[in-house]
Amino acid sequence: MLVIDTFQAARKSLDRNRNRAMLTMLGVIIGVGSVVLMTSVGASMEELILGQISSIGAQSMVIFPGQQEGAEGTVQAGFDSITFSDIEALEKLDTVTSIAPAMFLPVPQATYGRETTEPRVIGTVPNYFRNRELTLSAGRLLEDADIRGARNVVVLSSEIVDDLFGKQDPIGKRIKIGSRFYEVVGTLESVGTQFFQNADEFVFIPLSTARAQTGQKYLNVVSLQAVGNFDLAQSDVETLLRKRHGIVGDDDFIVRTSAQANDILGAVSLGLTLFITTIAGISLIVGGIGIMNIMLVAVSERTREIGLRKAVGAKRRDILLQFLIEAIALTVIAGMIGVFLGLALAGLVAGIVDKFLPTYDFVLSLPSIGIALCMAFATGLGFGLYPARKAALLSPMNALRYE
Amino acid sequence: MASKQVPLIETVDLRKSYFSEELETAVLHGLNLTINEEEFVSIMGPSGSGKSTLMHILGFLDQPTSGKYLFRGEATRTMTDDELAAIRATRVSFVFQAFNLLPRTTVLENVMLPLLYHPTIPASERRDRAMHAIETVGLGDRATYYTNQLSGGQQQRTAIARALVTEPDVIFADEPTGNLDSKSGNQVMEAIQELHAAGGRTIILVTHEQNTAQHAKRIIHLRDGHIDSDTTKFKRLNAKKNHNLTK
Repeated sequence: MLVIDTFQAARKSLDRNRNRAMLTMLGVIIGVGSVVLMTSVGASMEELILGQISSIGAQSMVIFPGQQEGAEGTVQAGFDSITFSDIEALEKLDTVTSIAPAMFLPVPQATYGRETTEPRVIGTVPNYFRNRELTLSAGRLLEDADIRGARNVVVLSSEIVDDLFGKQDPIGKRIKIGSRFYEVVGTLESVGTQFFQNADEFVFIPLSTARAQTGQKYLNVVSLQAVGNFDLAQSDVETLLRKRHGIVGDDDFIVRTSAQANDILGAVSLGLTLFITTIAGISLIVGGIGIMNIMLVAVSERTREIGLRKAVGAKRRDILLQFLIEAIALTVIAGMIGVFLGLALAGLVAGIVDKFLPTYDFVLSLPSIGIALCMAFATGLGFGLYPARKAALLSPMNALRYE
Repeated sequence: MASKQVPLIETVDLRKSYFSEELETAVLHGLNLTINEEEFVSIMGPSGSGKSTLMHILGFLDQPTSGKYLFRGEATRTMTDDELAAIRATRVSFVFQAFNLLPRTTVLENVMLPLLYHPTIPASERRDRAMHAIETVGLGDRATYYTNQLSGGQQQRTAIARALVTEPDVIFADEPTGNLDSKSGNQVMEAIQELHAAGGRTIILVTHEQNTAQHAKRIIHLRDGHIDSDTTKFKRLNAKKNHNLTK
């Protein structure tokens, strides 16, 4: 029997039992659909997280005061460990550059005329904008002269501009932050969310101004860039700070790098992938058992047909192939439907989530589609084999007499 | 029955027993039988006489427990499953009491079915051969009908066309009229007789009906797994020879 005839025979018999075939396929459709949906959502999440993290930049590191808790690190205590003299020491290192210390000011409100808003106030230096890849939309950024003179100038993020000025031009206007007045010298382009925080609700004042105003002797965060070898730069920074802080045991600071973030992301996404794969595996096994069940029904229902085919000369292999191809056709068609369904749902999810997280994008995970289809194929092959073998081994005479 | 040429079918002490739970039920008790080419033989007997079992063995659907079965002088006991399938595909074919047509399938597709498994007939010839066989049994205008749209007689003639299409040496007909009214039954028997009259084919008819058996020129009676009688007549053939097929 030609292979094409085997396909024809399988196609005809599926055609004759279309409703049952559809119901049988449901298990595999759901299995494959959920794999495609979940991997697509997972990939979108990964892109989203990567997008957040990549704002650090590959050569960047960020130093926080505080203690590492556990391996993955949570800031615990000791918010005052990084001082201005630490910064001066860091500036002497050859392996790092663009050092941008920053402090957060506990200011509740900013006002312009009758408009008020609740910005997050950061005192920092010009390097900060470079390290965070913040771009100017109008006016100018903070300059070294602002730092030296501890001027009362401010650069605003886009949402703060909207809140206070609406459509007016903010440059040159004076706004009140806390109890002091600052001149707006520049505004920033919107950057959306970074590290899952809204990055458009900041105001930036010179670090020296902030220090003078609050009297705070420590820094809340320091970002900097490695020059050349990143690992060397990181170890230089860590060695320097440990030495300066006289540390023998646990560090009182945390160095965050994009590599770390990627590691965490990798672990999370590996866990997610394993989780999805397990779920998908279970649903494919359930689907496969459904397929096997229905193929066994088909074999006993069509025992006389098998007998007839054997009586007119079908070999065992012909019967085996016919039923196997039927089972595989079922699962592969189901797999394709599942892929489309999964993609459609992933698209829907992306459409909805995008309303809340504008940087969430629909990601098509081609390898996962390939894997899902292969799994569907393997399910058909694995669970179709037993019924097909059973059919092939029927004695023609007994099969013909079967009632 | 001695013949210069090798007989088509020859059995020597053919035995068949069924076993269930170590209980042996002998169905055929050492049959010695010779059937030559182009014979038309009826195998008769009451139910349980072993006639169906004999047909299954002669038709390569089943294997004997012991004894010899020579087909064209060739021993068949040692053949593998695939070799038996190949013989079924090319040398023998069957007409069953219950027609055994594929459901929800056209006459043409049913008749083409054996050609799918035929080792030498190319795919391009299937349709023409099938149409020819369908026309031979007078169903040319029904080729595209689904088999459930046909009468019982037409269904059985479809089955006859399916048996013809591979141009086998032997056609086995197992109670071919058993599920038909007498009019349709007669039409089917006429079709079978016509086939035999056209020459070149051995027909082995298994039946318990005397009327049906009378269409053959040789009648073998089985009783309890033995050959009870084996008689040959010559009149019947001439009487029916010039009948034309009617739908």
